[in-house]
Amino acid sequence: MSAGAEGAEGVGVALVSHFATVEQQRHAAVLGMWAWLLTELLLFAGLFLTALVLRLLHPEAVQEAARHLKFWIGALNTVVLITSSLTMSGAIQLSRLGWQRGMVRFMLATAALGTLFLAFKGYEYWADYHEHMMPFLGGRPYALESAPASRLFVNLYYVATSLHGLHLTTGIGILLAMTWQASRPGFLARHQNRIEIFGLYWHFIDLIWILAFPILYVVNR
Amino acid sequence: MARMSDDERRVLRAHMRVPVLTAGALLGLLGVNVALGATLPFAHVWILELMVATAMVVTILWVSMEVRHEPPLVRLFAGIGFFWVGILFAMTLTDYLTR
Repeated sequence: MSAGAEGAEGVGVALVSHFATVEQQRHAAVLGMWAWLLTELLLFAGLFLTALVLRLLHPEAVQEAARHLKFWIGALNTVVLITSSLTMSGAIQLSRLGWQRGMVRFMLATAALGTLFLAFKGYEYWADYHEHMMPFLGGRPYALESAPASRLFVNLYYVATSLHGLHLTTGIGILLAMTWQASRPGFLARHQNRIEIFGLYWHFIDLIWILAFPILYVVNR
Repeated sequence: MARMSDDERRVLRAHMRVPVLTAGALLGLLGVNVALGATLPFAHVWILELMVATAMVVTILWVSMEVRHEPPLVRLFAGIGFFWVGILFAMTLTDYLTR
């Protein structure tokens, strides 16, 4: 388990019956989360690999499509997610110290930054719609009709970013529910490791975007 | 913050040092990638851009996700997961790049 999770007064994990020790329970939770995160990694890796293959097969069409992506909003959103990882790390650190109020504030800040990311992403989609960059909308003209292969890249962009957005939305929902639980007295004495385990998920969402931004926005310019 | 004692401030600073430095490093690396993407200073700049992205991923895994503090089994899981992704990318791209 992560360093510093033990020691502070009023901080701990309630042992459930099917584990022999709290330490075993903590390790099992971390390992289980990693096993799931790796399935997620393989899911996104397939999409990113497809993007690179499309770049090799249709370089001009992909570059033309990538020029319509909102590079600076993508960069700004990366800053937002890196900052949200910092606030999530803050929540984990304060949970280890047993500083419940500060931890809850950091968790709320993390959820707010995640929501800000989705707002910027929504603006990007809205701008794409107005620029006729949604080739999957059958009744609407597509801006790059002259480069049919660009449809493949643009559709992949929407699949990858909306799937990431879905993970982020789920993460925000879980985080808000957990924040409500964590604000109650005694939470950290029984469930501190929930903050640690959720932190892994949040950092992983950040990691996926850290890969998505260069692969979709940067290398195709 | 204003109501915190000096000792509490010291403890908070000690615990937040690594997360703040990590975020700073990630923002710095992002700045490099954004500058490269915006200026395209030389041919095949994408190689450097992907290397910078890889450095960011390793930083998140090793420091933010604290793989360095995990037991060997968790390290093995994390390492093998990315190793398989490496095989997936290497074999597929070898095919397309050598056609």
